[in-house]
Amino acid sequence: MNCNKAHVLMSVAVDGELTLKEEQMFLLHLSECELCRLEYEEAKKTKMIIREKIVRFNAPPSLVNMIMQLSSVDSKKTENSLSL
Amino acid sequence: MAKSETNRPATTSSKKEAVSREEHMKQLEFQKEAVIHINSLYNYALHLTMNPDDAEDLVQETYLKAYRFFNSFERGTNCKAWLFKILKNNYINSFRKNSKEPGKVDYDLIKDFYHSIKDTRTDTSEADTDYFHSLLHEEVYLALQSLPEEFREVIQLCDIEGFTYEEIANMVESPIGTVRSRLYRGRKLLRAQLENYAKKYGFNTDSEK
Repeated sequence: MNCNKAHVLMSVAVDGELTLKEEQMFLLHLSECELCRLEYEEAKKTKMIIREKIVRFNAPPSLVNMIMQLSSVDSKKTENSLSL
Repeated sequence: MAKSETNRPATTSSKKEAVSREEHMKQLEFQKEAVIHINSLYNYALHLTMNPDDAEDLVQETYLKAYRFFNSFERGTNCKAWLFKILKNNYINSFRKNSKEPGKVDYDLIKDFYHSIKDTRTDTSEADTDYFHSLLHEEVYLALQSLPEEFREVIQLCDIEGFTYEEIANMVESPIGTVRSRLYRGRKLLRAQLENYAKKYGFNTDSEK
């Protein structure tokens, strides 16, 4: 495996989606290539940063309420059981 | 001797009998399986529409449809993936068809969101001083937004929502190979963007470790 191919697989490796065969070849290449090893560390970091730094919003309570009502008694549009 | 509470009166007697038992079970299951993903769906909708009002509409439509077709949901499969797929279809149908201008981005609103967060959140999770930790939430968000949609979408589904390639391929209706290559190219672009931000802070991104 050359570095180009390894680079493409890196992204897949980070997600744990390599096939068994790919994984073997990939690890073999990493063991022989310092640059790709470093590159792989960076690739892992990029995924981590997205996971850590993207802020998740909560759905507005009014929306949650609406959905809950939708799946509780269909035509019952009465009281909002959760106070907003 | 422990007192049993078997004498408690049935409080549900007043409940409307219009709903069959079967329907009731469906509702309970729907809440357990589907409604718990509402925050994820809302975030996905926000990313797609870039507008809170549209995002709410989209989520609502999605749940309406999901509830109606809940019987066709294959039990034991990933309900979240199923919901995302419905949401995406809804998005394409109602926003693309009605030329509702999906590209109309409410940047001010997004900024407001992020400013309110920045104040309340301090990130010192690790004493790591590498450049990733210097990045602000807003910068990461903007970097992600700067990507072409086809790349941004797969990164979002993979990294943020944690779907498998197979699930993503199904959602974006492309082969797994396409998902792979979009992730690869998208991440490459994303990293270049993030490094730009990092350079602003004087971090040397030619990592030596």
